[in-house]
Amino acid sequence: LTALVVLVAALPLLGALAPLALLRARGLGIAIAAGGLGALAAAVAVTVHVERHGPIRALAGFLYVDSLGSFFSLTIAVVVTLAGVGSVAYLRAEEERGGLTPLQLRLYAIFFACFAGLMLASLETGNLGLLWVLIEASTLASAVLVGLEAKASSLEAAWKYIIISSFGVTMALVATLFLYYAASPLALSPNQRLTWPALFTHATLLQHDSLRLAFLLAVIGYGTKVGLAPMHTWLPDAHSEAPSPASAMLSAALLNTGMYAIVRFQAIAIPELGRYTNHVLLVFGFASILIGALFMVRRGNFKRLFAYSSVEHMGIISVALGFGGVLGVYGALLHTLNHAIGKCVLFLTSGELVQRWRTRESSGIVGALTTAPLVGGVLLLGSLAILGSPPFGLFLSEFTIVRAGFRGSSLLAFLLLALLVLAFIAFARSTAAMATGEPEQLEGEASGRQSVVAAVPLVAGMAALLLLGLWIPGGLNSLIMHSIGTIR
Amino acid sequence: MIAAAVESLSAASTSGVLLDLSAVVMLLCAFAALGSKLFDRYVAYYALQSIVLAFAAAVVGHALGQVDLWVLAVATLLIKGIAIPVATRRFLLDRLDLRRDVAVSTGLSTSLILGAFLTAFAYLAIRPSTLPHALVASAVVPLSTAIILLGGLCMVVRRHTIAQLIGWLILENGVFLGAITLTATFPFIVEAGIFLDLVAAVLIMITFVSGLAERLATAAAPELRELRH
Repeated sequence: LTALVVLVAALPLLGALAPLALLRARGLGIAIAAGGLGALAAAVAVTVHVERHGPIRALAGFLYVDSLGSFFSLTIAVVVTLAGVGSVAYLRAEEERGGLTPLQLRLYAIFFACFAGLMLASLETGNLGLLWVLIEASTLASAVLVGLEAKASSLEAAWKYIIISSFGVTMALVATLFLYYAASPLALSPNQRLTWPALFTHATLLQHDSLRLAFLLAVIGYGTKVGLAPMHTWLPDAHSEAPSPASAMLSAALLNTGMYAIVRFQAIAIPELGRYTNHVLLVFGFASILIGALFMVRRGNFKRLFAYSSVEHMGIISVALGFGGVLGVYGALLHTLNHAIGKCVLFLTSGELVQRWRTRESSGIVGALTTAPLVGGVLLLGSLAILGSPPFGLFLSEFTIVRAGFRGSSLLAFLLLALLVLAFIAFARSTAAMATGEPEQLEGEASGRQSVVAAVPLVAGMAALLLLGLWIPGGLNSLIMHSIGTIR
Repeated sequence: MIAAAVESLSAASTSGVLLDLSAVVMLLCAFAALGSKLFDRYVAYYALQSIVLAFAAAVVGHALGQVDLWVLAVATLLIKGIAIPVATRRFLLDRLDLRRDVAVSTGLSTSLILGAFLTAFAYLAIRPSTLPHALVASAVVPLSTAIILLGGLCMVVRRHTIAQLIGWLILENGVFLGAITLTATFPFIVEAGIFLDLVAAVLIMITFVSGLAERLATAAAPELRELRH
């Protein structure tokens, strides 16, 4: 059983072994995708087991999977799979075009695999210190992906990313220290004082002042990873400069891993600090939605547009956690899953657009729907989906969150609605113009035919979003309910 | 046993005094780095600070009878005290021929005054009285907080990428000093993991900085404007 849990994190590493076998781009891509798919299968198996028999714990709490952990690892595994299939197309295109050297192709495979494996591993530990170590390590692996293309701009983005994130994550380390210190009144062994089940069950006995400091620093520290404003400044640069499948992983997986850490800290802090935790998350959440929406108004690089949309959505999730209650947390978790799939699809679409049009400026692309019907269609539908229009999944989750808001203060709920409308207008203004309109004549290469591999994750992702908008499977529903049970 | 061990770390004991002293020297190193304008000075002060940190870890390890801390002390000495400074010097300073840091946003005296304010703030924010009696040599916690803040200040007022890297490393030393005193019994696996992350981070950062320097001829952060709107 332990082996199964280890497999979830170990299977993506297949991609890291592929370069040893001296495979070409095609083989590397397939190894990455197979690793993702294997991890997804293992994550499903672990989830089923956790749902039936309760949390899995081993190795003195260093390995611990409960419903919340398995929900997040399922989400991340879906993203890794989609982005892995997207990588097949990306690597092949780059090899044909000669955009990346063979060494860079191999580096991509190695660090993509490590990034995925480390993120999945961080969701499977009950030790908050080890959680920190794994999240920091995944930051480092992803920084290499951001700087992979080794242009001045991508190295600059990578530098900005690594220095801001390291600073932030160091704050999260201080938070972990203070949490450990807050647990000193408890009669626990040093290891137990950092381990989730022990901390959570004794949460009311923690030392008040240290706990407050620990929670605040954790929100700021891990919030830097999540991209909560005003710690989001690395995010648009890193997302726009990374290769598109890596951007998808950053936006749809890495941000959620940070949010997972915040959820854990909040759960530990609530019994002692009460509504204080909610207020902190509401402030950061609304700031992020506002900043995200305002920066989306500007038309320009569409990958930056998607990145600011991630800031906005992480803000929405944070606000949902701030509203709290079963409904709020339910909305937050459902939104995490929906946003992960939706944003993954959009970033993979952006990769297709960049490869066809060779530009990242939204003004450079007109009439994608005519030139490349599938990509253009996914761009249009995906934008609608990410903006929360029915019948897609994000409508349902945003609706749940707004409902949770009206339970508390309707003023905040109205504010949230107003900001969502602002974001809708700002975002759709750019993407609608890209998809529709009369296309210019492009050279033969750009209007090349659609590769089948590249289309698979786009179609699969959109289908999943549509499905989640129409019907939430019973298993998913109970998984989310159990996840809420583990943190209340 | 823990209670007895904690007793031996109280401010009056020899180890307590040694710990306080090391923390003060580390703070002075941070100030010295903040007040310097030469790249190799930054690196030298960081190396000195790390060696003192290794000494502090050994003192706590000795006082509490913890073998882990001895291991960490040796690792700190070898990696932070020797390997990182040597690597920074060889791969960045010598190769890129860097001497004077001109990319500072505030004057040296201003940043020193800011640093003094931050130190005072650290003392006000973390009064020894808020800490449980005699748990640690009580001066160390505010001192390590001050080192963290000074490291952050270095990252803010210095714009050159290497200066930012050193600032982050100083900050990290402050966190580490806090960790060994506040929570001497932190699980070893976690501390080892933190160490590994640090090494990997420095390696990647060095690669990025030298890559940037090759492409831009200068790696000062204000010159990094490609991504400005």
